[in-house]
Amino acid sequence: MNWELVFTANNVRRLLIGDYPEALGGVALTLVLSVIAIVLATLLGFLIGYMRFAGGRPLRWAAAGYVELLRNIPLLVLIFWAYFAPPYFGYEPTKFTSVLVALVLFNAAYIAEVVRSGLLSVSAGQTEAARAMGMSPLQQALYVMLPIAAYNTIPALTGRYITLLKGTSLAFLIGLSEVTEIGRQINNRLLTAPVEIYATLLVIYFCLNRSLSGGMRLFEDRRRFNRIFCFFAR
Amino acid sequence: MYQFDWSILLGESGRLLLRGAEVTIELAALALVLALILGFIFGVLRWSAIGLLKPICWLYVEFLRNTPPLVQILFWYFSATVILPNSVILTLRDYGFQFIAATFALGLYHSGFIAEIVRGGLNAIPRGQYEAAQAIGFSFPQTIRYILLPQLLRITAPTLTNEAVSLVKNTSLALAIGVTEITYQARYIDYTSFRGVEALLAVTTFYLVLCLAIAGLGHGLQRWLSRHRRAVA
Repeated sequence: MNWELVFTANNVRRLLIGDYPEALGGVALTLVLSVIAIVLATLLGFLIGYMRFAGGRPLRWAAAGYVELLRNIPLLVLIFWAYFAPPYFGYEPTKFTSVLVALVLFNAAYIAEVVRSGLLSVSAGQTEAARAMGMSPLQQALYVMLPIAAYNTIPALTGRYITLLKGTSLAFLIGLSEVTEIGRQINNRLLTAPVEIYATLLVIYFCLNRSLSGGMRLFEDRRRFNRIFCFFAR
Repeated sequence: MYQFDWSILLGESGRLLLRGAEVTIELAALALVLALILGFIFGVLRWSAIGLLKPICWLYVEFLRNTPPLVQILFWYFSATVILPNSVILTLRDYGFQFIAATFALGLYHSGFIAEIVRGGLNAIPRGQYEAAQAIGFSFPQTIRYILLPQLLRITAPTLTNEAVSLVKNTSLALAIGVTEITYQARYIDYTSFRGVEALLAVTTFYLVLCLAIAGLGHGLQRWLSRHRRAVA
């Protein structure tokens, strides 16, 4: 075992922050990419899920078509679309934007389905009560249905966020220097310690994902969830 | 504006894509078999929760499910030469080392998910079912064959179908270690003939058709498995 070859100060630094002053990379880039993608995919997913639940027929069909198309092609193919196709039409996206766009579009389709099932689980009495209080359809959606749906979908959303974080590793296939790419570079330079390097990568992802699901579990406390949601709804 | 040239899909490029499609389907089928076998074993072990096995099964499932399939593929591919003895490596090389590594890694990755599906399915079968089987004098194998398995398959069929679709999509990751599956061929066509958009569109259509076909098959299977139930859930 060649652990001392892998864990030199320089390698650890590169795994954590990449070549930071010049270009952010490593775990830091993985986290930045994941967080931005999670926020955007959640917003888009809620929008599409609500469209499929409550929209008119054209909107419903459009949302259903989007979900069925995106859920049945690999994320990798989507990343290749986002990175290799635009130059043919005269636009050169950066690697970061390509991966981000692909991650958001792909995961929004799954989140839309999660949100739709969450909305279906809101009992009729809740919406009737909201209507009886004279809330407009928008108010019903924003203050009654979506908060309940969001709370009900937390476990399913956690699973999706973990898949999203795992999906960021695909970025190395177009050369974005997130943690997998850095690991590959170190492996290419050393050539003698593949087990150690890839095991380290596996442990890093494992820790990131366990922290993510641990963090999401905090929201499963209903009082805490309500407090946070009220803060944003104000 | 980009000029599409669909005729390239009829020539050499089309042949490459077909060969890639063949590899993708082989890879997916073999990995699925491995995932089902390992998944059932670990699912049953986790469900039965035998003392010492409990933490091992927990670690198995949690580690496989919380790490990216791509890194797992790279790990097994690069580590195989260190872990396995030389003679085994040489034999494997004759059968396509990359292909075997990818099959193993993907099968292992999805077995973690299938283990959880199986455990959930077993938990969903009421205790009374076993007790009733015992009361009317069924042996243990009979209980499994006539009581457990039919219910387990019916309960898990929809989620197992989703897992199969997800496995097919993950076969695209095998290109990272140079397995010549269909996504690899699309990249190759892009490099050699600058017809990336046409190739990507063909590949996208292939995955779409294959995944929808599997989902349809799974739905049919689910209906067939619940044919004896009066109210289909």
